[in-house]
Amino acid sequence: MEFELKTIEALAPDQASLSAASKLTKRSNWPRLEKNEQQALIWGECQGSGSNPYRVVVDTGDHGYKCTCPSRKFPCKHTLALMWIAATAPASFAAAESSPEWVNDWLGRRRKTSPPPVQPIEGAAAKSIDEAARTDESAAAEDVAAVERREAAQRKRAEDTRQAVSAALDELDQWIADQLRLGLSGFVDASSDRCRRIAARLVDMKATALAGRIDEIPSRLMALRSEEKPDAAIRELGKLVLLAKAWRAAPDDPELKRLVSTSETREQVLASPDARQVESFWEVLGEKIESRRDGLVSHSTWLLDLKSTTPQFAVLLDYFPASAGRRSNAFAPGDRFDARLVFYPARKPLRALVAERMGEVMSGAWPDFSLGATKDPLAGHASYQDAAPWITDCPLLLPPGAILVDDRGTGWWQAADDPQGIALPIAGAVNQTLLGLDLAATAALWDGARLDLLAAQSGFGRLDLS
Amino acid sequence: MNESEQTGLATMRDCWITGGATFDLAPTAWKTIAGGTSPDEQERRLLAIAAQALDVALRPAPPKTLKRRPPLPRLALPMLPERLRPLLRAALKHAADARRKTRVVTLVASRGFVLHPMDWMPVAPDQNSPDVYAPWIDWQASLDGERQAPQEKLTAENWDEFYPAARRIALADMRRSEPASARLLVEAKASGEPAEVRLALIELMRFGLNPEDAPFLKSLSADRSGKVRELAGRLLARLGEHGRSNDGGEGDPAAELAAFISEGKSGFIRRRRIYTPAKLKSPAQEKRRAELFETCNLVDLAARFNATEPEFIGAWQFGADNNADILIARMVAASGSDAAVTHMADALVADGGKPALFVLHLTPRLDSRRKRALVRLILKQANYLNAINLAEGIDAGWLEWDDLSNGSALAALRSAVAENDNAMRRGADEILETIGFLATATTAAKLIDEVVAAGMPPAAPSLSVLRLNAALAEHQSRTDT
Repeated sequence: MEFELKTIEALAPDQASLSAASKLTKRSNWPRLEKNEQQALIWGECQGSGSNPYRVVVDTGDHGYKCTCPSRKFPCKHTLALMWIAATAPASFAAAESSPEWVNDWLGRRRKTSPPPVQPIEGAAAKSIDEAARTDESAAAEDVAAVERREAAQRKRAEDTRQAVSAALDELDQWIADQLRLGLSGFVDASSDRCRRIAARLVDMKATALAGRIDEIPSRLMALRSEEKPDAAIRELGKLVLLAKAWRAAPDDPELKRLVSTSETREQVLASPDARQVESFWEVLGEKIESRRDGLVSHSTWLLDLKSTTPQFAVLLDYFPASAGRRSNAFAPGDRFDARLVFYPARKPLRALVAERMGEVMSGAWPDFSLGATKDPLAGHASYQDAAPWITDCPLLLPPGAILVDDRGTGWWQAADDPQGIALPIAGAVNQTLLGLDLAATAALWDGARLDLLAAQSGFGRLDLS
Repeated sequence: MNESEQTGLATMRDCWITGGATFDLAPTAWKTIAGGTSPDEQERRLLAIAAQALDVALRPAPPKTLKRRPPLPRLALPMLPERLRPLLRAALKHAADARRKTRVVTLVASRGFVLHPMDWMPVAPDQNSPDVYAPWIDWQASLDGERQAPQEKLTAENWDEFYPAARRIALADMRRSEPASARLLVEAKASGEPAEVRLALIELMRFGLNPEDAPFLKSLSADRSGKVRELAGRLLARLGEHGRSNDGGEGDPAAELAAFISEGKSGFIRRRRIYTPAKLKSPAQEKRRAELFETCNLVDLAARFNATEPEFIGAWQFGADNNADILIARMVAASGSDAAVTHMADALVADGGKPALFVLHLTPRLDSRRKRALVRLILKQANYLNAINLAEGIDAGWLEWDDLSNGSALAALRSAVAENDNAMRRGADEILETIGFLATATTAAKLIDEVVAAGMPPAAPSLSVLRLNAALAEHQSRTDT
């Protein structure tokens, strides 16, 4: 496993990539660094700017590489950083007997070619690893006046944004009133065009996050039966009214700002004194990767806190451009790890970042949350709605139950001890095998109309349902 | 939410659907919250309250017709250990079709494990899965879920209490141990079953087929289903019974087929009879000959030449006409007696060369020993290594390292792996997958090392079955110690 800095310099697409890679060479950015000398492979997981870690593997023999980040630079800064660590601190890599499944997947897909000689590419002369390493250290201290000017400009920008968003919400209010006046039946039929138009206006007026949410309303309605759509439209539009009112009451509230305009950066969340931190064992319940109408792909990884006495969840949420192509999953469902998570400040914190990963945890059954004692399986949902009524998808851990089917083939979850009681319809097609299994506990997302299954525990062990 | 609020919400909902103001329809408490502002703002406030009420206070109404399936039965073998499931899933993912997936399942069953139901489930009328999966096949097929497969012996009285797959397995076992009792059962019950089930039941008669079955099989010549009649005719032919008129007149297909075959003599001292396919003059003739081979029985054809089945097969000149050779091999497999089948297999395997590959058509009727001999021969010759992928019904996990290393198979595989030619590599991939199923765990582990040394990436998907095979043994040895 030998890497020369010259090789990295030659491979780097530009100086900016090298500089960015230099900042990622800190050991703390890499919760996992491993190597297999027999296979001439090094790999690692880099905690980048996203919530989900990026997985990077490099073939030290022919300098082939793969990273799960959406960058269009090849190799990306994560790959360069991994090579850089291999060149300067090879002892950081723990020897692994076998390579993990995601590395094997990559190996299986690629065809090995004879290693091309690493030639300095055009413009390579302008790249220098020394300069990249220096950039970090030599960040010149700004003078006080410059800092003040920058902060003043920031304040002005924030004020401008607030005014633009306020105007955007006025337009949204008017638009909602128009939909009610014209009739929701017409709205349901023409939701695609109508939502697109108002979403475009909201983007222009800096209410970007809200625009993205409105853009998704048509596809949420489409997933329902026609008789359910008016109720769903009432729920969707009503939640928008609530969110707009809440923002007007507290425009600086971080949760509301995140839902209406833009989200905080990773650094801001990590530095926030209001951000709750939880160190625990986490299990990956499942992942949801959805293409959105605004050209982004949302990638959410749902986690369950295994040390908590009541069901506590976290979601690692990332967005990346759909044009970046299909991304490999960051985690495999069922993975367990010991980590400190920092939650984005919210009334019911769900979205989180992995601040520090301490290692893997043995698999096993979920803790006993005494779910049988709760009569209402939607009690968790009600609690989320009481605190933050604009939330659309609430994670739930359902008590012992089973999946049943109706005449139309739709699956329904029903509690085991209450066959006449509440039943929750399941989103999408149900795996027929699931109909014969008793589910001791089921993790799912409830959006007010459908249950999106994530995982379950059964007599046949853990079931991956996402 | 009280009753008046529910009624108010329903009326407001109807009004919003068509369009219009709902303030006057709202429950009093809601009016208090929403009132005192502009009409648009009132509507928005009411909408927010309604949204919250729909989300929290109302529950979905399940239809009364919700159906629960019976619990998935536990199988007789333990579940594949969690640790090996990623390897299994990789092997299943790589297996391109149902037949190959079933091979993976068979390999795992041969090592004493069953799969997790979320990884693989047999399809309802599946007759190729290992017998241990019968309860799942029946679970898949059952809609009412009322019956429970009983553990006692199958009889005419408890016939209906067995699910089809369990019944099929019980009958097949019975045919092996008590063929007469099984036949009597089929005789008593088959006529009441639909044609498809009847065909599957008659098909079981091939286990332990003996002359005592002939009267029953003859009685099926009046069956309503053409497929059943044809199958019964084939089974009778295996017993040496002539199925069709043998008068040689017009309309006798065996006579017509015989005209496509030339009889001659060979050898200087001991002149012996030989049969060679006659030269064909047109595609129409070729087509007709193929049809005749498919409809005629070997016993009738041999009789046209006054020969017994083994005599006829022994005198057939394999290698003269490839198409004719394939057709005769299929005919032997379908209607030849056991003696004809074994005679053909033994003779061709002993002679080796390309004609031995025609034995592949006979594999469904060969015993385990002969099937293994054929696989060993294919590996030893290595000229037609791809033919190993065609072998059917062969046991899993018996191929030893010597079987691979004695001939040229290993060298051929190594060079195919090292080649830059994609077609060669793909061919090698398929062979490795098949050997992954046939090999012992030790052989599988050694073969992985060999091909990786030859240049195959260690994690190549084509090694997935071999990896699973090797890992299954590791697990067994761990649990043994």
